[in-house]
Amino acid sequence: MQKRGTFPLLALILLFVVLCLSFILFPYQHYFIISVVIIGLFLLLFFKRFERKKVKTREIVILAMLAALAAIARVPFAGIPSVQPTSFVIITAGLVFGAESGFLVGAVAAIVSNIFLGQGPWTPWQMFSWGTMGLSAGLLRSLLSKVWVQCIFGFAWGFLFGWIMNLWIIVSNIENISWEFVIGIYASSFTHDLSHAISNVVFIAIFSARWVKILDRFKRKYGLL
Amino acid sequence: MYFNHPLFLITALLILVFVNLSHDGGKALKKWVLVLILMSVLIILLNPFLVSRGTTILFYFRGKQVTLEATIYGMTMALFIVNVLILSISFHLILNGNRFLYIFSKFLPRTAFLVMMAIRFVPLLKRRLDEISDVHHIRGLSMREGNMKNRMTNGMLRLQTGLTWSLEEAIQTADSMKARGYGLGKKTSYIPYYMKKRDWVWLMILCFLFALCIAGGALGYGKIVIYPVLGTLQFFGIDWTVFGCMVLLMAFPLWVEGRETLRWRF
Repeated sequence: MQKRGTFPLLALILLFVVLCLSFILFPYQHYFIISVVIIGLFLLLFFKRFERKKVKTREIVILAMLAALAAIARVPFAGIPSVQPTSFVIITAGLVFGAESGFLVGAVAAIVSNIFLGQGPWTPWQMFSWGTMGLSAGLLRSLLSKVWVQCIFGFAWGFLFGWIMNLWIIVSNIENISWEFVIGIYASSFTHDLSHAISNVVFIAIFSARWVKILDRFKRKYGLL
Repeated sequence: MYFNHPLFLITALLILVFVNLSHDGGKALKKWVLVLILMSVLIILLNPFLVSRGTTILFYFRGKQVTLEATIYGMTMALFIVNVLILSISFHLILNGNRFLYIFSKFLPRTAFLVMMAIRFVPLLKRRLDEISDVHHIRGLSMREGNMKNRMTNGMLRLQTGLTWSLEEAIQTADSMKARGYGLGKKTSYIPYYMKKRDWVWLMILCFLFALCIAGGALGYGKIVIYPVLGTLQFFGIDWTVFGCMVLLMAFPLWVEGRETLRWRF
C-alpha cells in the first residue's frame, strides 16, 4: 500500500467515531437507518478505491480465495462451539497483504459467510468490523512483527468485534436505552467474546508465524500487491 | 420497520409472512420460526424488567418499577426485529447469485466480481477440506478427540493445507483468466434480466409510495409515543392514508405473484 493512502483512511475512521458519538450525545431519530447508511458509505469508499486502483488478475483471485477461506474457516470447527478462525485468517491477510487487502478480505468474507448462514441487519456491521480488523492489522503491521504483540492485538479484537456487533442492537432501539439494558447486552455477550479472544490468541500463537511465511512466500514468488 | 404503531407492525408482519410463503412455500421460514418466537418472547419478557422508563407503573419488582410503557416498547421492539428478520430471509431467497451481480455490477463491477468469485470458491474449498480431513482421519489426526488445544491445532492444520493448495490453484485460475483476455476491455457480464417499460412504471409507482410512507412517518403518522407517557393508539384520517400506502407497497410482490398464479391456473 502507498504511504499517502494511510492518512485518509485514519481520517475516515476518526470521522466515523465522531459521527457515532454525535448520535449518542444528540437526540435525533432513526439511529438504525442512519447508522446503516453511514456504514454503507464507509464500505462504499473502500470498494470505490478498489475499483479505481490498478489491480492484477492474480491479486483479485487471491483476494477472493482468501475471503472464501476466511468465510469457510468455521466449517471444520463446527464441532467446537464459538471457536472460529475467521478473524485469524483476516488478520494474517491484513498483516501480509496490507490494509486495503485486509479490509477487502474481511468485508467480503462477511458477505460470503452470511450468504450461507443468513443475511440480516447484522451483515453491514459484520462487514464493518471484520473489514476494520483486516484494515488495522495492515496499518499496524510494522508494530505487529512480534508474535506476542499479535496475540495482544488478536485478544483485543476478539472483544472489539463483539462490542461493535452489540452496537447494532443498541442503535436499533436507542429510545429504550438504560444502563441496565446496555450492561445486560454486554454481559450476555461476554463469554462469547472471551472465547473469540482466546481462540484468536491460540491460533495466532501457534500458527501466525507459519501462515505469514506461507503468504509472504506467495507474495514474493508471484509479485503480488 | 419505520413505523411503530402496533397495527402497522402486525399488518406488516402478516404481509411479510405471506410474501415469504409465496417464495418457497415456507421452507426457509420454517427453520427460523423457533428462533423468532423464542427471541420475541425473550425480548417481551425481559424489556420491562431491564428498562424502568415510563410513568404508568404496573407493579414493583425487587424495588424497581415495571412500567406499561416498557412493556409496550418490548412488544413493538420484538415485532420490529421479527419483521426485519423475515424481510432479510426474503432478501436472502430472492437476491441469489445472478441478481446480486446484476444489481452491483453496474456501479461496483470489480467488487461484485470479487464477491461472486469468493462465493464460487466456497463449495470448492468445502470439497477440498473434506478430502483433507479424510486423509487426516486415516493418519489419526482427529478433531473429535483429545484436548482442546490438539483439536484446534488439527483443525487449523487442515485449513493450512487447504490454504497452500488453493493459493497455487488460484494463481493458475488467474493466469488462465488472463490468457483469455480478462482485464483487457471494460468488464461485461451475462445478465439474464432486463427492464421493460412497465417495469420502470411500476418502479416509479413503488418509489412514490415509499416516499409517501417516509413523508408520513417523518410527520409522525403511523407512530405512537411511548416514552415518557404512552400516547393514544387512535387512528386519524392521514394515518389511514399512510397505512394504505404501506400495505400497497409491501403487498406488491403478493399481487404480482398472485396474478401470475391465477393466470397459470385458469
